[in-house]
Amino acid sequence: MIELKSVSQAYGEYAVLKDVNLIIQEEKITALIGANGAGKSTLLNAAANLIPVRSGTVLLDGENVKEIKNIEIAKKIAILKQTQHLNMRITVRELVSFGRYPHSKGRLKKEDERKIQEAIDYMNLEELQNRFIDELSGGQRQRAYIAMILAQDTKYIFLDEPLNNLDIKYSVEMMLILQKMIKDLQKTVIIVLHDINFAAAYADEIVAMKDGRIIREGKAVDMIEKETLAEVFDHEFYITDVGSRKVCVYFQPEMAKEK
Amino acid sequence: MENRKTIIGKFSLLLILILLSILLYLYARVFHKALDSGIALTMPVAMRILARSGTSLLGMVVSATLIAAVSLAFQTITENRVLTPSMLGFDSVFLATQSVLVFFASTVSFMGKLFANPYYNFFITTGIMLLISVMMYSIMLRKNKNNIAFLLLFGLILSSIVQSLTNYIEVLLDPQQFQQLKAVTTVSITNMNESVIVIAAPAMVFLTFLFVKRSREFDVMQLGESNAKSLGVPYIKRVNQTLILIALAMAVTTALIGPVTFLGLLSVNIARELFKTYRHKVLFWGSIFISILCLVLGQGLVELLRYATPVTVLIDLIGGTYLIILILKERKL
Repeated sequence: MIELKSVSQAYGEYAVLKDVNLIIQEEKITALIGANGAGKSTLLNAAANLIPVRSGTVLLDGENVKEIKNIEIAKKIAILKQTQHLNMRITVRELVSFGRYPHSKGRLKKEDERKIQEAIDYMNLEELQNRFIDELSGGQRQRAYIAMILAQDTKYIFLDEPLNNLDIKYSVEMMLILQKMIKDLQKTVIIVLHDINFAAAYADEIVAMKDGRIIREGKAVDMIEKETLAEVFDHEFYITDVGSRKVCVYFQPEMAKEK
Repeated sequence: MENRKTIIGKFSLLLILILLSILLYLYARVFHKALDSGIALTMPVAMRILARSGTSLLGMVVSATLIAAVSLAFQTITENRVLTPSMLGFDSVFLATQSVLVFFASTVSFMGKLFANPYYNFFITTGIMLLISVMMYSIMLRKNKNNIAFLLLFGLILSSIVQSLTNYIEVLLDPQQFQQLKAVTTVSITNMNESVIVIAAPAMVFLTFLFVKRSREFDVMQLGESNAKSLGVPYIKRVNQTLILIALAMAVTTALIGPVTFLGLLSVNIARELFKTYRHKVLFWGSIFISILCLVLGQGLVELLRYATPVTVLIDLIGGTYLIILILKERKL
């Protein structure tokens, strides 16, 4: 279980997180939403102990993360930031093998090879496994990174805007894979999403942030609601039902006013 | 395991080439030295030249090893494949510190003692260099990791500022002090500071061991800061430790043979091309071997053909050209 207790974080004088309390729901997709600069990424980084927090505590399975060794945290939490440019030429399989580092420290054993193979199979990367990362399309590369995280074999998976630079097809594929992972592998996923409709369609829980605070949290179905979203984003929304899903329309503010 | 075999093959080839170039170097030394000086080449004369050449050879191996290891580690922590510490002016900082020490030695007698003792001198300069390199990293390198043009410009400016400072101080010195300073700072591959080799050789073994030991972590760090942290590498701590090692190693080589700007760049990149791997264990040894080969073979050839210039000038010529090609290529990518 991951629990944040009155966590605050500041860059210089500028407070990015103000007294944040959050318990992350197990085996669910939790989406962090909010405007730019609301503190979503910082919250993710703080929860994964990538940056030390100014004050407050982050508990991982009841233990303060500050007192756990990095390598032990890495066996429980994997975090993937927006895909960056890689400065090395490696194949998909080699990238996935890096996921075993916290367990094997680079010396791969039978068990590690098995996990790597499982991750590759799970992400349908068999045919690509000997290709170089820089030869892949954006969607394939993202899949390779997710496979690395799967090989890391952590309970918690944190994703920071994984849909950036992905086209619609790959974005949907990515979200479906995450849903499947929760069902098959009992993972807990926390994801920063920019597009509110992706959160509406795929997240179980939504945590809405504004100015470094969590202003609303709850089940996705309850959160996709006119007043809530207007408060979070400072923007008028028009919400409609398509099939069983709620869809937010935000392109024409005047449309929201008419209704 | 096919892969492993080819790697071992390449290493054996490099080793053979190194041995051959050592023979070439010794041959050139013994025969040409004797010819030039007009002394008949008797056994005792040959032995004397060999003994002297042995020290130079050791110095070359020490410097070449350190330069290669430092350059590779530096490229990994700064996430680029072009820059090396020498190109950012780390060695000019070393020389400037020496001049400042001499200058203050003239006013404070206590400083004079520190300067005169080669060991104290070495430790103080290294300490100051450490400070400056950590500052440089935290102010400039961390934020501008991918901006190679900016970093090169920064290195250029830093080295010219530091050089002018050195020149200025040299003007202020009295002739005797100037002589003293020149004795320490005008070292080169043909004019090594042999008193340092007693510290330098064990330091090389120790530092190389520390670099190579961390190979697996360096592999992970190459994935970038956030990925490395996610995989459990204490990134910032490791970067700082590596910087300290780099500053130490740079101080050792600069004290021993003076600045060699492009040797690191050449050997690391040749190693990457030759071994086509990201694994630091292979790359460290590969670049060390190549670096030694470049330096010893080059110096051997220079002595054989009796060029007046030391090999470092040649290496900088080739390395500089290579750097321009690299930058043009990076720009395209």
